[in-house]
Amino acid sequence: MALRPLRAARRALESMARGPYVALVGAATVFVAVFATGLFAGALGGAERLLAAWAGEVRVSVYLAPGADLERARAAAAALAPGRRVEAVPSEVALSRLADSLGEQAHVLEGVGPGALPDAVEIEAPGLSLEGARELAARLRSVPGADDVDYGTAWLEGVERFVSRARTAAVFLFGALALATAILVSNTLRLAVFARREEIEIMKLVGATDAFVATPFLLEGLLQGLLGAGAAVLALAGVHGLLVPRLAAAVSAARALTLADTLPPALVVALVGGGAGIGLLGSALSVARALRRT
Amino acid sequence: MIQLFHVTKEYPGDGPALQDVSLEIDKGEFVFLTGASGAGKSTLLKLIFCDEPATAGQLLLFGKNVAKISASAIPFVRRNIGVVFQDFKLLANRTVAENVALPLEVRGLAQKEIRRKVRGLLRSVGLEHRADKFPPSLSGGEQQRVAVARALAPDPALLLADEPTGNLDPERTLEVMDLLYGANARGTTVVVATHDRSLLERYKKRVVVLQAGRLLSDGDSVRRAVS
Ligand SMILES: Nc1ncnc2c1ncn2[C@@H]1O[C@H](COP(=O)(O)OP(=O)(O)O)[C@@H](O)[C@H]1O
Ligand SMILES: [Mg+2]
Repeated sequence: MALRPLRAARRALESMARGPYVALVGAATVFVAVFATGLFAGALGGAERLLAAWAGEVRVSVYLAPGADLERARAAAAALAPGRRVEAVPSEVALSRLADSLGEQAHVLEGVGPGALPDAVEIEAPGLSLEGARELAARLRSVPGADDVDYGTAWLEGVERFVSRARTAAVFLFGALALATAILVSNTLRLAVFARREEIEIMKLVGATDAFVATPFLLEGLLQGLLGAGAAVLALAGVHGLLVPRLAAAVSAARALTLADTLPPALVVALVGGGAGIGLLGSALSVARALRRT
Repeated sequence: MIQLFHVTKEYPGDGPALQDVSLEIDKGEFVFLTGASGAGKSTLLKLIFCDEPATAGQLLLFGKNVAKISASAIPFVRRNIGVVFQDFKLLANRTVAENVALPLEVRGLAQKEIRRKVRGLLRSVGLEHRADKFPPSLSGGEQQRVAVARALAPDPALLLADEPTGNLDPERTLEVMDLLYGANARGTTVVVATHDRSLLERYKKRVVVLQAGRLLSDGDSVRRAVS
Protein backbone atom coordinates (compact mmCIF):
# COMPACT_ATOMS: atom_id res chain seq x y z
CA MET A 1 0.00 0.00 0.00
CA ALA A 2 1.32 3.42 -0.88
CA LEU A 3 1.90 5.68 2.09
CA ARG A 4 -0.15 8.81 1.93
CA PRO A 5 2.14 11.71 2.87
CA LEU A 6 -0.71 14.15 3.43
CA ARG A 7 -2.49 11.75 5.76
CA ALA A 8 0.75 11.01 7.57
CA ALA A 9 1.28 14.75 7.97
CA ARG A 10 -2.26 15.12 9.27
CA ARG A 11 -1.69 12.32 11.76
CA ALA A 12 1.58 13.93 12.83
CA LEU A 13 -0.11 17.27 13.47
CA GLU A 14 -2.99 15.60 15.30
CA SER A 15 -0.69 13.71 17.61
CA MET A 16 1.38 16.84 18.29
CA ALA A 17 -1.84 18.63 19.20
CA ARG A 18 -2.77 15.68 21.42
CA GLY A 19 0.59 15.61 23.17
CA PRO A 20 1.92 19.18 22.97
CA TYR A 21 4.14 18.66 25.99
CA VAL A 22 6.19 15.92 24.36
CA ALA A 23 6.38 17.95 21.14
CA LEU A 24 7.51 21.03 23.07
CA VAL A 25 10.19 19.13 24.96
CA GLY A 26 11.44 17.81 21.62
CA ALA A 27 11.55 21.27 20.09
CA ALA A 28 13.18 22.69 23.24
CA THR A 29 15.86 20.02 23.11
CA VAL A 30 16.74 20.93 19.57
CA PHE A 31 16.58 24.61 20.52
CA VAL A 32 19.23 24.13 23.20
CA ALA A 33 21.53 22.14 20.94
CA VAL A 34 21.22 24.55 18.01
CA PHE A 35 21.46 27.65 20.19
CA ALA A 36 24.64 26.43 21.85
CA THR A 37 26.24 25.55 18.55
CA GLY A 38 25.13 28.83 16.97
CA LEU A 39 26.42 30.86 19.88
CA PHE A 40 29.80 29.23 19.61
CA ALA A 41 29.99 29.59 15.83
CA GLY A 42 28.65 33.16 15.94
CA ALA A 43 31.10 34.31 18.62
CA LEU A 44 34.02 32.80 16.75
CA GLY A 45 32.80 34.32 13.47
CA GLY A 46 32.53 37.75 15.08
CA ALA A 47 35.93 37.49 16.74
CA GLU A 48 37.54 36.37 13.52
CA ARG A 49 35.93 39.26 11.69
CA LEU A 50 37.31 41.73 14.26
CA LEU A 51 40.77 40.22 14.15
CA ALA A 52 40.77 40.26 10.35
CA ALA A 53 39.77 43.92 10.37
CA TRP A 54 42.59 44.67 12.74
CA ALA A 55 45.10 42.63 10.77
CA GLY A 56 44.40 44.76 7.72
CA GLU A 57 45.50 47.93 9.40
CA VAL A 58 48.39 47.20 11.73
CA ARG A 59 50.49 50.32 12.00
CA VAL A 60 53.24 50.77 14.54
CA SER A 61 54.42 54.31 15.25
CA VAL A 62 57.79 55.14 16.81
CA TYR A 63 57.70 58.66 18.28
CA LEU A 64 61.09 60.31 18.58
CA ALA A 65 62.44 62.45 21.37
CA PRO A 66 63.04 66.10 20.46
CA GLY A 67 66.26 66.56 18.55
CA ALA A 68 66.60 62.92 17.49
CA ASP A 69 67.85 62.19 13.98
CA LEU A 70 64.78 61.23 11.94
CA GLU A 71 66.69 59.71 9.01
CA ARG A 72 68.87 57.61 11.30
CA ALA A 73 65.82 56.40 13.18
CA ARG A 74 64.08 55.49 9.90
CA ALA A 75 67.09 53.46 8.78
CA ALA A 76 67.27 51.69 12.14
CA ALA A 77 63.52 50.93 12.05
CA ALA A 78 63.80 49.59 8.50
CA ALA A 79 66.58 47.28 9.68
CA LEU A 80 64.45 46.11 12.64
CA ALA A 81 61.35 45.54 10.47
CA PRO A 82 62.72 44.04 7.28
CA GLY A 83 60.30 43.90 4.37
CA ARG A 84 57.86 46.38 5.92
CA ARG A 85 56.91 49.74 4.56
CA VAL A 86 58.76 52.20 6.77
CA GLU A 87 58.08 55.91 6.49
CA ALA A 88 59.71 58.90 8.15
CA VAL A 89 57.04 61.34 9.27
CA PRO A 90 58.49 64.71 10.27
CA SER A 91 56.62 66.85 12.76
CA GLU A 92 55.13 69.18 10.08
CA VAL A 93 53.84 66.25 8.01
CA ALA A 94 52.30 64.68 11.12
CA LEU A 95 50.62 67.98 11.89
CA SER A 96 49.19 68.40 8.41
CA ARG A 97 47.95 64.76 8.42
CA LEU A 98 46.30 65.40 11.74
CA ALA A 99 44.70 68.54 10.29
CA ASP A 100 43.47 66.50 7.31
CA SER A 101 42.02 63.84 9.53
CA LEU A 102 40.27 66.45 11.62
CA GLY A 103 38.63 67.95 8.52
CA GLU A 104 36.22 70.73 9.53
CA GLN A 105 37.55 70.73 13.06
CA ALA A 106 41.06 71.58 11.86
CA HIS A 107 40.66 75.05 13.39
CA VAL A 108 41.41 73.59 16.83
CA LEU A 109 44.99 73.30 15.64
CA GLU A 110 45.28 77.07 15.06
CA GLY A 111 48.23 78.44 16.98
CA VAL A 112 49.80 75.03 17.39
CA GLY A 113 53.45 75.41 16.57
CA PRO A 114 55.32 73.27 14.03
CA GLY A 115 57.23 71.44 16.79
CA ALA A 116 54.17 70.49 18.79
CA LEU A 117 54.09 66.93 17.46
CA PRO A 118 57.17 64.74 17.64
CA ASP A 119 58.92 63.42 14.57
CA ALA A 120 57.91 59.81 14.02
CA VAL A 121 58.70 56.69 12.05
CA GLU A 122 55.65 54.68 10.94
CA ILE A 123 55.83 51.00 10.08
CA GLU A 124 52.94 49.34 8.26
CA ALA A 125 52.63 45.63 8.90
CA PRO A 126 49.33 44.37 7.40
CA GLY A 127 48.32 40.88 8.45
CA LEU A 128 50.54 40.84 11.52
CA SER A 129 49.20 38.99 14.54
CA LEU A 130 48.67 40.76 17.83
CA GLU A 131 51.58 38.87 19.33
CA GLY A 132 53.77 39.81 16.34
CA ALA A 133 52.78 43.46 16.68
CA ARG A 134 53.73 43.44 20.33
CA GLU A 135 57.12 41.89 19.59
CA LEU A 136 57.79 44.32 16.76
CA ALA A 137 56.89 47.24 19.01
CA ALA A 138 59.30 45.96 21.67
CA ARG A 139 62.08 45.67 19.13
CA LEU A 140 61.42 49.15 17.80
CA ARG A 141 62.03 50.61 21.24
CA SER A 142 65.75 50.24 20.50
CA VAL A 143 65.50 52.68 17.58
CA PRO A 144 67.94 55.51 18.40
CA GLY A 145 66.02 58.49 19.76
CA ALA A 146 62.80 56.52 20.27
CA ASP A 147 60.64 58.04 22.94
CA ASP A 148 57.46 55.97 22.67
CA VAL A 149 56.16 53.12 20.52
CA ASP A 150 52.44 52.81 19.82
CA TYR A 151 50.61 50.04 18.02
CA GLY A 152 46.99 51.04 18.58
CA THR A 153 46.88 49.29 21.92
CA ALA A 154 43.57 50.53 23.25
CA TRP A 155 41.09 48.66 21.08
CA LEU A 156 43.50 45.87 20.30
CA GLU A 157 43.64 44.92 23.94
CA GLY A 158 39.87 45.09 23.90
CA VAL A 159 39.65 42.59 21.06
CA GLU A 160 42.11 40.32 22.73
CA ARG A 161 40.26 40.38 26.00
CA PHE A 162 37.00 39.74 24.15
CA VAL A 163 38.42 36.82 22.21
CA SER A 164 39.93 35.16 25.25
CA ARG A 165 36.79 35.69 27.29
CA ALA A 166 34.65 34.40 24.43
CA ARG A 167 36.83 31.35 24.23
CA THR A 168 36.56 30.64 27.95
CA ALA A 169 32.84 31.30 27.88
CA ALA A 170 32.40 29.13 24.79
CA VAL A 171 34.26 26.23 26.35
CA PHE A 172 32.30 26.56 29.57
CA LEU A 173 28.97 27.07 27.82
CA PHE A 174 29.66 24.31 25.39
CA GLY A 175 30.45 21.84 28.13
CA ALA A 176 27.43 22.76 30.22
CA LEU A 177 25.06 22.86 27.27
CA ALA A 178 26.36 19.63 25.78
CA LEU A 179 25.60 17.93 29.08
CA ALA A 180 22.16 19.52 29.31
CA THR A 181 21.43 18.62 25.70
CA ALA A 182 22.48 15.03 26.18
CA ILE A 183 20.23 14.68 29.23
CA LEU A 184 17.34 16.39 27.49
CA VAL A 185 17.70 14.34 24.32
CA SER A 186 17.73 11.03 26.14
CA ASN A 187 14.78 12.10 28.28
CA THR A 188 12.87 13.26 25.26
CA LEU A 189 13.45 9.96 23.54
CA ARG A 190 12.32 8.00 26.54
CA LEU A 191 9.34 10.29 26.95
CA ALA A 192 8.36 9.97 23.30
CA VAL A 193 8.63 6.20 23.40
CA PHE A 194 6.74 5.97 26.64
CA ALA A 195 3.99 8.35 25.59
CA ARG A 196 3.36 6.39 22.40
CA ARG A 197 4.19 2.82 23.33
CA GLU A 198 0.55 1.95 23.75
CA GLU A 199 -0.41 3.72 20.55
CA ILE A 200 2.27 1.90 18.59
CA GLU A 201 1.23 -1.44 20.07
CA ILE A 202 -2.40 -0.87 19.18
CA MET A 203 -1.56 0.36 15.68
CA LYS A 204 0.27 -2.89 15.09
CA LEU A 205 -2.62 -4.91 16.52
CA VAL A 206 -4.93 -3.46 13.90
CA GLY A 207 -2.53 -4.31 11.07
CA ALA A 208 -0.40 -1.19 10.65
CA THR A 209 2.92 -1.61 8.84
CA ASP A 210 6.08 -0.28 10.50
CA ALA A 211 6.25 2.44 7.87
CA PHE A 212 2.68 3.52 8.61
CA VAL A 213 3.50 3.74 12.31
CA ALA A 214 6.85 5.45 11.80
CA THR A 215 6.03 8.10 9.19
CA PRO A 216 4.08 10.50 11.42
CA PHE A 217 6.73 10.13 14.13
CA LEU A 218 9.45 11.07 11.67
CA LEU A 219 7.45 14.04 10.40
CA GLU A 220 6.87 15.11 13.99
CA GLY A 221 10.58 14.87 14.74
CA LEU A 222 11.37 16.86 11.61
CA LEU A 223 8.85 19.52 12.53
CA GLN A 224 10.07 19.72 16.13
CA GLY A 225 13.63 20.05 14.83
CA LEU A 226 12.66 22.83 12.43
CA LEU A 227 10.69 24.66 15.13
CA GLY A 228 13.47 24.34 17.71
CA ALA A 229 16.17 25.36 15.24
CA GLY A 230 14.08 28.25 13.87
CA ALA A 231 13.51 29.57 17.38
CA ALA A 232 17.22 29.15 18.14
CA VAL A 233 18.20 31.17 15.05
CA LEU A 234 15.81 33.96 16.08
CA ALA A 235 17.26 33.87 19.60
CA LEU A 236 20.79 34.08 18.17
CA ALA A 237 19.80 37.11 16.11
CA GLY A 238 18.43 38.57 19.35
CA VAL A 239 21.70 37.88 21.16
CA HIS A 240 23.55 39.62 18.32
CA GLY A 241 21.26 42.63 18.64
CA LEU A 242 21.84 42.79 22.41
CA LEU A 243 25.57 42.10 22.52
CA VAL A 244 27.00 44.02 19.56
CA PRO A 245 26.09 47.54 20.82
CA ARG A 246 27.56 46.66 24.22
CA LEU A 247 30.68 45.29 22.60
CA ALA A 248 30.92 48.35 20.37
CA ALA A 249 31.07 50.52 23.49
CA ALA A 250 34.26 48.70 24.51
CA VAL A 251 35.70 48.01 21.09
CA SER A 252 34.81 50.54 18.43
CA ALA A 253 35.57 48.17 15.56
CA ALA A 254 32.72 45.95 16.78
CA ARG A 255 30.36 48.60 15.44
CA ALA A 256 31.12 47.21 11.99
CA LEU A 257 29.96 43.72 12.99
CA THR A 258 26.83 42.82 11.08
CA LEU A 259 24.45 39.92 11.39
CA ALA A 260 26.15 38.53 8.28
CA ASP A 261 29.39 38.24 10.32
CA THR A 262 28.00 36.46 13.37
CA LEU A 263 25.08 34.67 11.70
CA PRO A 264 25.90 34.26 8.01
CA PRO A 265 23.29 32.59 5.77
CA ALA A 266 25.43 29.47 5.46
CA LEU A 267 25.45 29.13 9.27
CA VAL A 268 21.67 29.63 9.41
CA VAL A 269 21.19 26.91 6.79
CA ALA A 270 23.56 24.59 8.68
CA LEU A 271 21.85 25.24 12.02
CA VAL A 272 18.32 24.74 10.70
CA GLY A 273 19.41 21.69 8.71
CA GLY A 274 21.21 20.32 11.75
CA GLY A 275 18.17 20.93 13.95
CA ALA A 276 15.91 19.15 11.48
CA GLY A 277 18.46 16.33 11.37
CA ILE A 278 18.54 16.00 15.17
CA GLY A 279 14.75 15.93 15.25
CA LEU A 280 14.56 13.31 12.53
CA LEU A 281 17.30 11.18 14.09
CA GLY A 282 15.82 11.46 17.57
CA SER A 283 12.39 10.36 16.42
CA ALA A 284 13.82 7.63 14.20
CA LEU A 285 15.73 6.19 17.16
CA SER A 286 12.76 6.38 19.48
CA VAL A 287 10.30 4.87 17.01
CA ALA A 288 12.73 2.11 16.03
CA ARG A 289 13.13 1.27 19.69
CA ALA A 290 9.37 1.19 20.20
CA LEU A 291 8.74 -0.86 17.06
CA ARG A 292 11.26 -3.45 18.13
CA ARG A 293 9.63 -3.74 21.52
CA THR A 294 6.08 -4.44 20.30
CA MET B 1 -8.55 -21.84 8.41
CA ILE B 2 -6.19 -22.58 11.33
CA GLN B 3 -4.17 -25.78 11.54
CA LEU B 4 -1.70 -26.67 14.29
CA PHE B 5 0.52 -29.73 13.97
CA HIS B 6 2.41 -30.72 17.12
CA VAL B 7 2.97 -27.12 18.08
CA THR B 8 5.23 -26.42 21.05
CA LYS B 9 5.99 -22.99 22.47
CA GLU B 10 8.66 -22.27 25.04
CA TYR B 11 9.41 -18.82 26.37
CA PRO B 12 13.09 -18.26 27.06
CA GLY B 13 14.07 -19.49 30.52
CA ASP B 14 10.69 -21.14 31.12
CA GLY B 15 9.05 -24.53 30.72
CA PRO B 16 6.83 -25.04 27.66
CA ALA B 17 3.70 -22.84 27.60
CA LEU B 18 2.28 -25.10 24.87
CA GLN B 19 3.32 -28.66 24.27
CA ASP B 20 2.60 -30.79 21.22
CA VAL B 21 -0.74 -29.20 20.43
CA SER B 22 -2.51 -30.35 17.26
CA LEU B 23 -5.73 -28.62 16.36
CA GLU B 24 -7.80 -27.60 13.37
CA ILE B 25 -10.32 -24.79 13.23
CA ASP B 26 -12.46 -24.46 10.12
CA LYS B 27 -13.89 -21.43 8.42
CA GLY B 28 -17.08 -20.22 10.10
CA GLU B 29 -16.51 -22.06 13.38
CA PHE B 30 -17.04 -20.68 16.86
CA VAL B 31 -14.50 -22.15 19.25
CA PHE B 32 -14.01 -21.66 22.97
CA LEU B 33 -10.49 -22.10 24.24
CA THR B 34 -10.54 -22.85 27.93
CA GLY B 35 -8.41 -24.08 30.80
CA ALA B 36 -7.01 -22.80 34.07
CA SER B 37 -4.91 -19.68 34.32
CA GLY B 38 -1.48 -20.41 32.84
CA ALA B 39 -2.79 -23.27 30.69
CA GLY B 40 -1.55 -21.57 27.51
CA LYS B 41 -4.70 -19.98 26.08
CA SER B 42 -3.18 -16.55 25.51
CA THR B 43 -0.04 -18.11 24.12
CA LEU B 44 -2.05 -20.05 21.56
CA LEU B 45 -3.85 -16.89 20.45
CA LYS B 46 -0.50 -15.06 20.19
CA LEU B 47 0.84 -17.76 17.90
CA ILE B 48 -2.21 -17.49 15.68
CA PHE B 49 -1.88 -13.68 15.64
CA CYS B 50 1.80 -14.00 14.61
CA ASP B 51 2.78 -12.19 17.80
CA GLU B 52 5.06 -15.02 18.92
CA PRO B 53 6.76 -17.73 16.85
CA ALA B 54 6.24 -21.40 17.64
CA THR B 55 9.29 -23.20 19.03
CA ALA B 56 8.46 -26.44 17.24
CA GLY B 57 5.70 -27.84 15.05
CA GLN B 58 3.74 -26.28 12.21
CA LEU B 59 1.08 -23.61 12.25
CA LEU B 60 -0.89 -22.95 9.07
CA LEU B 61 -3.00 -19.83 8.91
CA PHE B 62 -5.33 -19.31 5.94
CA GLY B 63 -3.39 -22.20 4.37
CA LYS B 64 -0.01 -20.49 4.80
CA ASN B 65 2.86 -21.68 6.97
CA VAL B 66 3.23 -18.92 9.57
CA ALA B 67 6.93 -19.67 10.05
CA LYS B 68 7.50 -18.69 6.43
CA ILE B 69 5.73 -15.34 6.64
CA SER B 70 8.29 -12.52 6.60
CA ALA B 71 8.16 -9.84 9.29
CA SER B 72 7.14 -7.22 6.74
CA ALA B 73 4.21 -9.36 5.58
CA ILE B 74 2.80 -9.90 9.08
CA PRO B 75 0.75 -6.66 9.12
CA PHE B 76 -1.01 -7.81 5.97
CA VAL B 77 -1.80 -11.21 7.49
CA ARG B 78 -3.14 -9.45 10.58
CA ARG B 79 -5.53 -7.45 8.45
CA ASN B 80 -7.60 -10.62 8.16
CA ILE B 81 -7.74 -10.99 11.94
CA GLY B 82 -9.63 -8.94 14.51
CA VAL B 83 -8.47 -9.07 18.15
CA VAL B 84 -10.24 -8.31 21.42
CA PHE B 85 -8.52 -8.31 24.82
CA GLN B 86 -9.61 -8.42 28.42
CA ASP B 87 -8.21 -4.91 28.98
CA PHE B 88 -9.85 -3.48 25.81
CA LYS B 89 -6.64 -1.82 24.53
CA LEU B 90 -8.41 1.35 23.44
CA LEU B 91 -6.55 4.62 23.00
CA ALA B 92 -7.65 6.83 25.87
CA ASN B 93 -6.88 10.08 24.07
CA ARG B 94 -8.97 9.29 20.98
CA THR B 95 -12.70 9.33 20.74
CA VAL B 96 -14.73 6.16 20.45
CA ALA B 97 -15.28 6.87 16.73
CA GLU B 98 -11.53 7.43 16.18
CA ASN B 99 -10.71 4.18 17.96
CA VAL B 100 -13.10 2.23 15.77
CA ALA B 101 -11.73 4.02 12.69
CA LEU B 102 -8.12 3.02 13.43
CA PRO B 103 -7.99 -0.28 11.47
CA LEU B 104 -9.68 1.45 8.54
CA GLU B 105 -7.16 4.32 8.63
CA VAL B 106 -4.39 1.76 8.61
CA ARG B 107 -5.89 0.22 5.48
CA GLY B 108 -6.00 3.60 3.79
CA LEU B 109 -9.76 3.84 3.28
CA ALA B 110 -11.22 7.19 2.21
CA GLN B 111 -12.34 9.41 5.08
CA LYS B 112 -15.93 9.45 3.86
CA GLU B 113 -16.01 5.67 3.69
CA ILE B 114 -14.46 5.45 7.16
CA ARG B 115 -17.08 7.77 8.66
CA ARG B 116 -19.89 5.82 7.07
CA LYS B 117 -18.55 2.47 8.26
CA VAL B 118 -17.82 3.71 11.78
CA ARG B 119 -21.36 5.01 12.13
CA GLY B 120 -22.75 1.63 11.11
CA LEU B 121 -20.40 -0.25 13.44
CA LEU B 122 -21.24 1.92 16.44
CA ARG B 123 -24.93 1.44 15.69
CA SER B 124 -24.44 -2.33 15.60
CA VAL B 125 -22.91 -2.32 19.10
CA GLY B 126 -25.47 0.21 20.39
CA LEU B 127 -23.00 3.05 21.01
CA GLU B 128 -23.86 5.67 18.39
CA HIS B 129 -24.53 8.18 21.15
CA ARG B 130 -21.01 7.64 22.54
CA ALA B 131 -19.16 8.32 19.25
CA ASP B 132 -17.46 11.52 20.44
CA LYS B 133 -16.73 10.41 23.99
CA PHE B 134 -13.33 9.25 25.18
CA PRO B 135 -13.04 5.60 26.31
CA PRO B 136 -12.21 6.32 29.99
CA SER B 137 -15.62 7.99 30.36
CA LEU B 138 -17.36 4.76 29.28
CA SER B 139 -18.29 1.74 31.41
CA GLY B 140 -16.25 -1.44 31.02
CA GLY B 141 -19.00 -3.10 29.02
CA GLU B 142 -19.24 -0.13 26.69
CA GLN B 143 -15.47 -0.05 26.22
CA GLN B 144 -15.41 -3.70 25.30
CA ARG B 145 -18.21 -3.14 22.78
CA VAL B 146 -16.08 -0.39 21.24
CA ALA B 147 -13.18 -2.85 21.06
CA VAL B 148 -15.40 -5.43 19.37
CA ALA B 149 -16.61 -2.81 16.88
CA ARG B 150 -12.97 -1.94 16.14
CA ALA B 151 -12.03 -5.61 15.70
CA LEU B 152 -14.94 -6.14 13.31
CA ALA B 153 -14.47 -2.86 11.42
CA PRO B 154 -12.50 -4.31 8.50
CA ASP B 155 -14.76 -7.40 8.23
CA PRO B 156 -12.01 -9.83 9.30
CA ALA B 157 -12.23 -13.50 8.36
CA LEU B 158 -11.10 -14.41 11.87
CA LEU B 159 -11.83 -12.88 15.27
CA LEU B 160 -9.65 -13.74 18.27
CA ALA B 161 -10.85 -12.76 21.74
CA ASP B 162 -8.66 -13.26 24.84
CA GLU B 163 -10.83 -13.28 27.99
CA PRO B 164 -13.07 -10.62 26.42
CA THR B 165 -15.47 -10.71 29.36
CA GLY B 166 -12.92 -11.13 32.13
CA ASN B 167 -13.47 -7.62 33.45
CA LEU B 168 -17.25 -7.50 33.01
CA ASP B 169 -20.24 -8.30 35.19
CA PRO B 170 -22.57 -11.10 33.97
CA GLU B 171 -24.98 -8.77 32.17
CA ARG B 172 -22.23 -6.91 30.22
CA THR B 173 -20.64 -10.28 29.54
CA LEU B 174 -23.72 -11.45 27.69
CA GLU B 175 -23.91 -8.20 25.68
CA VAL B 176 -20.34 -8.66 24.48
CA MET B 177 -20.73 -12.39 23.85
CA ASP B 178 -23.83 -11.74 21.80
CA LEU B 179 -21.81 -9.42 19.56
CA LEU B 180 -19.20 -12.14 19.00
CA TYR B 181 -21.95 -14.65 18.40
CA GLY B 182 -23.57 -12.30 15.88
CA ALA B 183 -20.31 -11.84 14.03
CA ASN B 184 -19.96 -15.60 13.80
CA ALA B 185 -23.52 -15.88 12.51
CA ARG B 186 -22.53 -13.48 9.70
CA GLY B 187 -19.64 -15.74 8.72
CA THR B 188 -16.63 -14.70 10.80
CA THR B 189 -14.62 -17.49 12.40
CA VAL B 190 -14.42 -16.75 16.13
CA VAL B 191 -12.01 -18.09 18.75
CA VAL B 192 -12.69 -17.05 22.34
CA ALA B 193 -10.27 -17.81 25.17
CA THR B 194 -12.12 -17.86 28.48
CA HIS B 195 -12.11 -19.58 31.82
CA ASP B 196 -15.75 -18.64 32.42
CA ARG B 197 -17.52 -22.00 32.49
CA SER B 198 -21.00 -20.45 32.37
CA LEU B 199 -20.25 -19.18 28.85
CA LEU B 200 -19.36 -22.65 27.63
CA GLU B 201 -22.61 -23.97 29.01
CA ARG B 202 -24.70 -21.15 27.66
CA TYR B 203 -23.42 -21.10 24.09
CA LYS B 204 -22.90 -24.84 23.55
CA LYS B 205 -20.12 -24.45 21.00
CA ARG B 206 -16.98 -26.39 20.36
CA VAL B 207 -14.68 -26.29 23.39
CA VAL B 208 -10.93 -26.83 23.27
CA VAL B 209 -9.49 -27.46 26.73
CA LEU B 210 -5.83 -26.81 27.53
CA GLN B 211 -4.10 -27.99 30.67
CA ALA B 212 -0.55 -26.99 31.47
CA GLY B 213 0.14 -26.39 27.79
CA ARG B 214 -1.31 -29.68 26.56
CA LEU B 215 -4.53 -30.26 24.68
CA LEU B 216 -6.77 -32.01 27.19
CA SER B 217 -9.95 -32.34 25.17
CA ASP B 218 -11.63 -31.01 22.08
CA GLY B 219 -15.36 -31.24 21.42
CA ASP B 220 -18.66 -30.06 22.79
CA SER B 221 -18.86 -32.39 25.77
CA VAL B 222 -17.81 -29.60 28.07
CA ARG B 223 -19.01 -30.91 31.35
CA ARG B 224 -17.03 -34.09 31.08
CA ALA B 225 -13.89 -32.18 30.05
CA VAL B 226 -13.81 -29.65 32.83
CA SER B 227 -15.06 -31.79 35.64
N1 LIG C 1 5.95 -13.45 27.64
C1 LIG C 1 6.14 -14.53 28.40
N2 LIG C 1 7.38 -14.84 28.86
C2 LIG C 1 7.59 -15.91 29.62
N3 LIG C 1 6.63 -16.76 30.00
C3 LIG C 1 5.37 -16.52 29.59
C4 LIG C 1 5.07 -15.39 28.77
N4 LIG C 1 3.74 -15.40 28.53
C5 LIG C 1 3.25 -16.49 29.15
N5 LIG C 1 4.22 -17.16 29.79
C6 LIG C 1 4.05 -18.41 30.53
O1 LIG C 1 3.44 -19.34 29.68
C7 LIG C 1 2.46 -20.08 30.36
C8 LIG C 1 1.11 -19.94 29.67
O2 LIG C 1 0.67 -18.61 29.81
P1 LIG C 1 -0.62 -18.05 29.09
O3 LIG C 1 -0.57 -18.46 27.67
O4 LIG C 1 -0.70 -16.60 29.36
O5 LIG C 1 -1.78 -18.83 29.82
P2 LIG C 1 -3.32 -18.45 29.97
O6 LIG C 1 -3.65 -17.40 28.99
O7 LIG C 1 -4.03 -19.73 29.73
O8 LIG C 1 -3.50 -18.00 31.37
C9 LIG C 1 2.45 -19.58 31.79
O9 LIG C 1 3.23 -20.46 32.56
C10 LIG C 1 3.11 -18.24 31.70
O10 LIG C 1 3.81 -17.97 32.88
MG1 LIG D 1 -4.39 -15.47 29.28
